[in-house]
Amino acid sequence: MRPVIYVEGLSVAYEDKLALEEVSFELREPAFLSVIGPNGSGKTTLLKALLGMVKPLSGTVEVLGYRVPGEEYEVRRRTGYVPQRERIDPTKPVLVKDVVLMGRVAKRGWGRGLTREDYEAARKALEVVGMEGFWDEPFSHLSGGQQQRVLIARALAVQPQLLLLDEPLSGVDAATQDVILKVLREEARKGVAVVMVTHDLNPLLEVSDYVMLLNKTVVAFGRAEEVLNEYLLARTFMRRVSVVKAGEKVVVSGVDHHA
Amino acid sequence: MLDMLFHPAMIRPLVAVIIASIVSSVVGVFTVLRGFSTLSAAITHSSFAGASIAVIYGVNPLLGALAVSLGFSGLTAYASRGNERRADVFVGMMFGFSTAIAVLFLSLARTYTATAWSFIVGDVLGVSLIDLYTLVAVAVVALCIVALFYKEFKFITFDPEAAEAMGLRASLYHYLMVFLIALFSVVAVKVVGIILAVVLLVAPAAAAYEFSHGLERMLSLSLLVSLASGVAGFLLSLYFNVATSAMIGICASAAYLAALLASPKRRRCAKCKEVATSRRVAKEV
Ligand SMILES: Nc1ncnc2c1ncn2[C@@H]1O[C@H](COP(=O)(O)OP(=O)(O)OP(=O)(O)O)[C@@H](O)[C@H]1O
Ligand SMILES: [Mg+2]
Repeated sequence: MRPVIYVEGLSVAYEDKLALEEVSFELREPAFLSVIGPNGSGKTTLLKALLGMVKPLSGTVEVLGYRVPGEEYEVRRRTGYVPQRERIDPTKPVLVKDVVLMGRVAKRGWGRGLTREDYEAARKALEVVGMEGFWDEPFSHLSGGQQQRVLIARALAVQPQLLLLDEPLSGVDAATQDVILKVLREEARKGVAVVMVTHDLNPLLEVSDYVMLLNKTVVAFGRAEEVLNEYLLARTFMRRVSVVKAGEKVVVSGVDHHA
Repeated sequence: MLDMLFHPAMIRPLVAVIIASIVSSVVGVFTVLRGFSTLSAAITHSSFAGASIAVIYGVNPLLGALAVSLGFSGLTAYASRGNERRADVFVGMMFGFSTAIAVLFLSLARTYTATAWSFIVGDVLGVSLIDLYTLVAVAVVALCIVALFYKEFKFITFDPEAAEAMGLRASLYHYLMVFLIALFSVVAVKVVGIILAVVLLVAPAAAAYEFSHGLERMLSLSLLVSLASGVAGFLLSLYFNVATSAMIGICASAAYLAALLASPKRRRCAKCKEVATSRRVAKEV
């Protein structure tokens, strides 16, 4: 079987500045991958490169068996994407149902109306994230954590093969983080490849199958328990960190969780 | 006043005003939400240039406006892909360039003053039958584009990054939206003129925004405000015997100011500020 994601020697630059340098990794089967790195380490750029939204300087990218760039629309059509929440202007007048249905619009093709199937998928996705009571609410009236859950519902509503999430845990309280991670874990169990970008380390070990430490290039890639050690994290974040095991949980200190 | 309205000579201008109001209300919503108002000012000036060139070559000015503003908007949409700062500068430059072209060609024409004046401040009472057909055709095309791509526009307007990531052809819809503004500018150059076009485009949508939490509501309120200011401005201008475009501009601006003053969104913010201030004061004490 072809790997879900295959990246070999990927370099991306904005104008004259390298954002990713010689990134290589492979996700053989659908699984939950967390990408961890400090601000400006190229996490968002990596997600965009997987979808062909930035032009690589060099390297090979294959996602779901499609070459990127080249067949990026095949990939995008099978992808649920959750952008970094700060990139969205929440003052735009849309209702929660509009937001969740947006993903369905992208898959349907222009000029075609939404069907009952679309509405059902949207309602079900909202239920999964526990936001079914907000169907007719203005998006701008929701709290940050609620908005985040709606954005995740929008990605789930397209029944994707690949879920890409950019910092879904930042600015969200612990209870909402649990909800989100549980939902993502469940998607991964159902065979969806989940790639989550984050700098929040603590809850990760329990949910991630794989962890990538990224700082322009891949510092480490592997099973969560292999990768999350003081030496590698310090190299990624360029500062001292300490990793403390407390039973099942791993607590990391020294990394700014809410940067 | 009313008998003036039912005078056969008044029907054509009134229809033109209504068409302009409808197109501006719909296109204006997307212009406001995407922050394209400067871009729309530049595009209306390019249709001014197109109209002026057409005058020299004896073509219907509206067709000239259509051709040049479509070309210009394509160029602008192309130049503004990716780099926002460059796009902003480009739009600013083209603003001046198209005005220069317009002035240049008008200075070549014999009928300089009257024609120039009619593009600058509009000439709704002089709408010919051919003009009216052109306006209707342009309006139908614009409304069809919005109807066909409405859901995609909504997605792109709210969240361009995710829209592209999930498979929408972002640049296609970017072009379409800029084309819509070009279509509006053709209607506007005849009805209210280039100076007041942006007011008619932006004011009703901006007024509607203050009272809307959903896009459909914003669209219908924008339509309401736009039609009301268009028709009211038209009637008042007949009554006082003053320039129609001026009265329409005044009505639309007044509606916007009133909306801003009465805005529940703003008031909520004011309340937040009050709370914040009182907290700060409490802390300092
Ligand atoms: N559109 C752009 N134009 C120019 N430079 C960019 C652009 N987008 C990102 N960069 C630069 O590329 C580098 C990587 O950016 P990227 O957004 O991928 O980082 P990130 O890991 O997602 O950071 P954050 O944690 O802050 O979201 C940064 O140095 C950034 O300044
Ligand atoms: Mg980022």
